[in-house]
Amino acid sequence: MHRLFLKLFRRRSMERDVAAELAFHQAMAAAQGNPIPMGNATVIQEEARDLWRFTFVENLWRDVVYGARSLRRSPALAATAVLSLGLGIGINTGIFSLAVEFLLSEPSVTNARSVVSVRMGGSSHAKKEVVEFVRASGLFQDVVGENEEAYINWNDGAETRQIFAVQLTKNYFTALGVPIAHGRGILPQDPDEVVVLGNRFWRTRLRGDPAVVGRAIRLEGRPYIVVGILPADYRSLIGFGYSPDVYVPRYLDDTILALYARLKPGMTMGQARAGVAAVAQRLDQAMPEAFRYAEGIQVVAVGGFDRIKSETEMQTVGLFFAMLLIVAGLVLTIACVNVAGLLLARGSARRQELAVRLSLGAGSGRLVQQLLVETALLAFAGVAFGLMLRQGMAAAVEQVQLPLPLPIRLHLTLDWRVTLYAILLAGFAAVVCGLVPACRSVRQSIAPNLRREGRMRLQRGLVVGELALSLIVLTAGVLFLRNLWRSNAISPGFDIRHTIYADVNLPPQEYKDLARKRLYIGQALRELKALPGIESVAGARVIPFNAGDRFMTGLKLADTGKTVRAFFYWNAVTPEYFRAMGIRIARGQTFPDDTDAVTRTVIVNRTFAQRYLTDRDPLGRTFLWGDAKTPYAIVGIVDGTKNLSIGEDPQPQLYEDLARIDNDRTRIAFVLRSATLPGTQLQAVRAALRRAEPNAGLEVATLYSSIGLAFLPSQVGAALLGGIGMLGLMLAVIGLYGVMAYSVSRRTREIGVRLALGADRRDIARLVLASAAKLILIGSAAGLLCAFFLVKPLAMFLVPGLRPHDPLTFAAVAALLALTGLAAAWGPARRAASVDPMISLRYE
Amino acid sequence: MAKSDSPMLLQGTLDLLILHALQRGPLHGYSIAQTIHVLSDEALKVEEGSLYPALYRLELDGAIAAQWGVSENNRKAKYYEITKRGKKLLSAEQETWNRLSVGVQRVLARQP
Repeated sequence: MHRLFLKLFRRRSMERDVAAELAFHQAMAAAQGNPIPMGNATVIQEEARDLWRFTFVENLWRDVVYGARSLRRSPALAATAVLSLGLGIGINTGIFSLAVEFLLSEPSVTNARSVVSVRMGGSSHAKKEVVEFVRASGLFQDVVGENEEAYINWNDGAETRQIFAVQLTKNYFTALGVPIAHGRGILPQDPDEVVVLGNRFWRTRLRGDPAVVGRAIRLEGRPYIVVGILPADYRSLIGFGYSPDVYVPRYLDDTILALYARLKPGMTMGQARAGVAAVAQRLDQAMPEAFRYAEGIQVVAVGGFDRIKSETEMQTVGLFFAMLLIVAGLVLTIACVNVAGLLLARGSARRQELAVRLSLGAGSGRLVQQLLVETALLAFAGVAFGLMLRQGMAAAVEQVQLPLPLPIRLHLTLDWRVTLYAILLAGFAAVVCGLVPACRSVRQSIAPNLRREGRMRLQRGLVVGELALSLIVLTAGVLFLRNLWRSNAISPGFDIRHTIYADVNLPPQEYKDLARKRLYIGQALRELKALPGIESVAGARVIPFNAGDRFMTGLKLADTGKTVRAFFYWNAVTPEYFRAMGIRIARGQTFPDDTDAVTRTVIVNRTFAQRYLTDRDPLGRTFLWGDAKTPYAIVGIVDGTKNLSIGEDPQPQLYEDLARIDNDRTRIAFVLRSATLPGTQLQAVRAALRRAEPNAGLEVATLYSSIGLAFLPSQVGAALLGGIGMLGLMLAVIGLYGVMAYSVSRRTREIGVRLALGADRRDIARLVLASAAKLILIGSAAGLLCAFFLVKPLAMFLVPGLRPHDPLTFAAVAALLALTGLAAAWGPARRAASVDPMISLRYE
Repeated sequence: MAKSDSPMLLQGTLDLLILHALQRGPLHGYSIAQTIHVLSDEALKVEEGSLYPALYRLELDGAIAAQWGVSENNRKAKYYEITKRGKKLLSAEQETWNRLSVGVQRVLARQP
């Protein structure tokens, strides 16, 4: 420290001082006739200078300048290296950014670490009174509630649309300290009709006009004053890029809320948990329910590592990203090995230069440093290029509208974590691709009689390693491609190709009455049925893959008197539903039309019958549901459908007649079976529904596009891993090509001799191809062996029935590698065969 | 080149001698050399070729501090002064030296 300080500030005066001091010394010695011998003044000055210099830094700087100059002399090498490393680093940082966004990002609230999500009674949401109760208990600094999955009807003056709203308690913005770009957040004293806009909604639907603050927009037919607009990089409490359109005070009486609380300063998670348990016990006394609030208590952090620790879904996502990062890391290793191969070849070309420097007295450590600096230059250029790629990918990903029924906006910012990761990768790359060639070059230069290393054993070894790595990466990619294929081939149990899906959100104020809802459904069905080209129309409470209501209840069978505990997916549909969706009725019939019968009718799927009603023929059996007095009769048995994901096992299902249930919702789905391409009918369907109720929010799409969520995991997995796998293969093949081309160019003379002695050109080509084939064979064997053990844990991400150790996958991968590898060797083989013996003998 | 009749100084010993010489007060380079020469009963001669690099190194390490002043014959001279850090270093080095020289003497006093 002291040294550095002196060096920095006193360096200038040092030289002058030394000279003056030595002069004084000489004068004194002369005056006293002193016999002490005089040293060499110049030597002393030089020694002093060495002492005062930043030797290491200055050498490094000289190496950088020299390295940059020598790289500029071989632009092809530099470009290839920077490209390979850039691709490797780009893909790694890109995936790392995704992982950071999904796993580690914190919601945009002040001091996110002190905000927790609270669950009581095992339920994610609670009544408004419960939120008030917890807040009044004074356990936390503040308590807020939000319902994040609400739809609200927004009228832009011409049309009514369904948009995504968050309903919240009015202290939400102040208690959490949510940042606001324009205007302000909702305040506790605000009236009910105020709204804060999401940034994207504001930009895309309201043209990003800041003057909208203070004006009103029409939600649910009522004017709401816009008080503020959220910033573009706002992250919601749920995370995962969930970005709703508007934030409004809770406006529906029966909306339940998710609880979030801010811890008091110094409060630990343990204290919070104990406190919530105590409050929940008092809550059980004050507001008794069928369940107990004191059970199933969870207090969980809203972001960062704590969240990963406490939520199992987050752990699965985390494992998926860990797997992706490993695979991407392998690709980067391939890229590095590639560059190492290039540098090795260059090292042997530069042997003379290094030998000269060594004989002039350069230490071999200094030469290794020099060569490492060159690699580091390449690596940093690679990082720069990689980060540019990452920016491009991030922009693309942020633009892409995922085929999801939810508003997802990711913010893949280049933050310190990503930058640090990129720099670490660059260091790794510099060492991996630099150290081996550098040490080797220096050693070879010291021992010049090792010069004829004719067989390039090290380069070949590197290529074999590269091929093995790429085979592992490819195996993962092909597995996920097969997974995609497989999950596309799995039938969801209904027709998704000819079906249109409409989601209607009726204005809740006007449709409180059950009879009005039924009237509307009847009218909408008539309007839709009248459309040309529509074969069949039905209404339903939910559509598979978009939502799923599950019941666990006791069914008391009338004939045997036994009660079975059943757990099933429940839906309420109109009689035409099965025809419109293409679900086969295996036995019996659909719901009868007489709505005044005493017995209510249900239809179950075959899994339901097989699991709960095996003792007698299920058709026609009646049961009592829970405490209800009205018996239910089973009138039909249908083939089942998938409910939430394409890979799931068959689950019991039970359907009720939509016209007979006590429908509490104002949201209704319609499905239409179209005789023509469903995409062409969307406009007509929208118009027909508009005629039935002009003020309803509408979303109309083909069923295929609206069940995108079900296919997303396999699509994302296939896209990412398939892409990474192809990149890995490409890099490995470039490496193979490089080595083959280099070896052919070094053997030109030998080939010339062979040709001159009468060898057939085809034999020469075969020679080159055979040596490439040998490398591919060894690489594949090693790669297959590693892949066999490494892909085993991937089973958890695949659809059931697809085993990671599927021989077909391995065979496909090996064949792919062999074909592309031989194709890459084809060029050098051709060149070898076309060598002119005369020219090649004069060569060198 | 070393044709001198005085013994070569062990590496590091010079630092010890310089620090010791400075204990009495600030001195310039020439008088440091002289002090050592005199204190050793003219047994040790410090060449300026080793003296000044040693001084600069000690200065960089913060063991001594330098300041320009006026010498006894009215000339500008650079005076060196031992610092707190230098005093600590001195006692540590002295300790090491004592142990070393005692050890060496013991070895040499006995027959192998």
